[in-house]
Amino acid sequence: MKKNILTRLLAGFTAAAMLTACAGCGNAQTAANTDTPAASDDSLQKVLDAKKLVLGLDASFPPMGFTNESNEIVGFDIDVAQEVCDRMGVELVKQPINWDTKEEDLNLGKIDCIWNGMSINAARAEAMNLSDPYMKNEMIFVVNASSGLKSMDDLKGKTVGVQTGSTAQEILEASDMYTDITVTPLEDNVTLLNQMELGFSDAVFLDSVVAYYFIAENHKDFYVLPGNLESEEYAVGFRKADQTLRDKVQTTLSEMKADGKLGEISEKWFGSDVTTVK
Amino acid sequence: MTGEQIQTLFGLMLEYTVPTLKIFGFTLLYSIPLGMIVALLKMCRFKPVSWLTNIYILVMRGTPLLLQLIVAQYSVPYIVRSELCPGFLHALLDGVDIRSEEYMFNMMLFAFVLNYAAYFAEIFRGGIAAIPKGQYEAAGALGFNRFQTFFRIVLPQVVRHVLPASSNEIITLVKDTSLASAIPYMEIMYIAKKQVPTYASLLPLFMAGAFYFVFAMLLTLLLSLIEKASDPLWRRGVNEKRKELFRRGNA
Repeated sequence: MKKNILTRLLAGFTAAAMLTACAGCGNAQTAANTDTPAASDDSLQKVLDAKKLVLGLDASFPPMGFTNESNEIVGFDIDVAQEVCDRMGVELVKQPINWDTKEEDLNLGKIDCIWNGMSINAARAEAMNLSDPYMKNEMIFVVNASSGLKSMDDLKGKTVGVQTGSTAQEILEASDMYTDITVTPLEDNVTLLNQMELGFSDAVFLDSVVAYYFIAENHKDFYVLPGNLESEEYAVGFRKADQTLRDKVQTTLSEMKADGKLGEISEKWFGSDVTTVK
Repeated sequence: MTGEQIQTLFGLMLEYTVPTLKIFGFTLLYSIPLGMIVALLKMCRFKPVSWLTNIYILVMRGTPLLLQLIVAQYSVPYIVRSELCPGFLHALLDGVDIRSEEYMFNMMLFAFVLNYAAYFAEIFRGGIAAIPKGQYEAAGALGFNRFQTFFRIVLPQVVRHVLPASSNEIITLVKDTSLASAIPYMEIMYIAKKQVPTYASLLPLFMAGAFYFVFAMLLTLLLSLIEKASDPLWRRGVNEKRKELFRRGNA
């Protein structure tokens, strides 16, 4: 889903602010996330001792993790994380974060993991210790059923909405069709779909997981164009050094896949077992 | 959206007006006195103090409040991690729990207060500068010391001068509290933003807008009353007498 561009800028800015704020402090150490792994990795023990796993999320990404009518954070990821925590004997703390600064929150220890339908890409694999992929996601085009658009070829000369800073935007910009379409970026997928319904754009390019859930939940008269540009995978992100914690969550997920619990949760949200955990 | 959904949403937003009011109230409580101090520092005759104050005001007014809020959130862990951080500061900050609600709220308030104090300082400085020099001389001639002159002669007039411009700032603050949603701190705007995908509707945002509007309107009324009450003639009920005298004078 979303991808961060701001973090580096922000880290630089924070460092600069620190420098000016306290001249006596000298160099602010920004390379805090390059700790050496293994050896003295007590990440799992820390979580078990605190009896808390703090999960960072954006809380506006249905159906993975979002806010319901009574302001509770719910979703597929949340149900899975809750089950993982139950099995580990710790409490799950759902901490809303600003998606743009998620790497900072993780590295500075505000949260223990990022678990919110996060797509794997090179930058994230570099910045975090990612779990194995747990689900596949495709990037698809959604149009108004009344528009008469039937295939991706029909999109030539049309306006396509896409979420800013998302992997969807990257994929669209790298594709061959990019020269033939006008792209209107916007902050979130649901607003994009609402705007398309009102005629601001002809199509929206987004995660199939979000699109299918949105269409089913809101009974919209939308049509999903056949085919997709690229498929991607979701993973949970941990701090680079937190190997034991990451492994524990990973094995717990595998156990849940084996005893059918993961499939059960998937069925609740997607109607079938769409998880790819081994 | 159905009527019932709107009712649920309204209830939720009403609940989260409290955090919004908390930011608003605390920011004013601290930034107005601080702004007064900054204004005096800026007018300090010892130049280095005045220059430093100028730099502070320049930074606060020259960078977006949104950025200041984010920087404030991350400042403590970065200072603690810094190798060259002085020992006493390290000891002071090391115990801070950056996961706690209090930390988040306090750092946010810190940024709001510093930002608004800079704006208030400029308003107050203008108000103080508007008092003619002759008044200080006259007060001196009447035997007032500097302290008495400032608090009994200058300040009451400054209050009246700065009220309209301060009202402007205060009403802007109502809407600026919504920037806290980016931290994210749970107030009206945060709730509205997160409820947009839930209902697949923009109505939560419009409702948030209505909340801010009503709040700003009530404040506008209150502030205009205060402005009126700060008129010494009106306050002492002299207005009627003055009009009467005026009529008699004309007769």
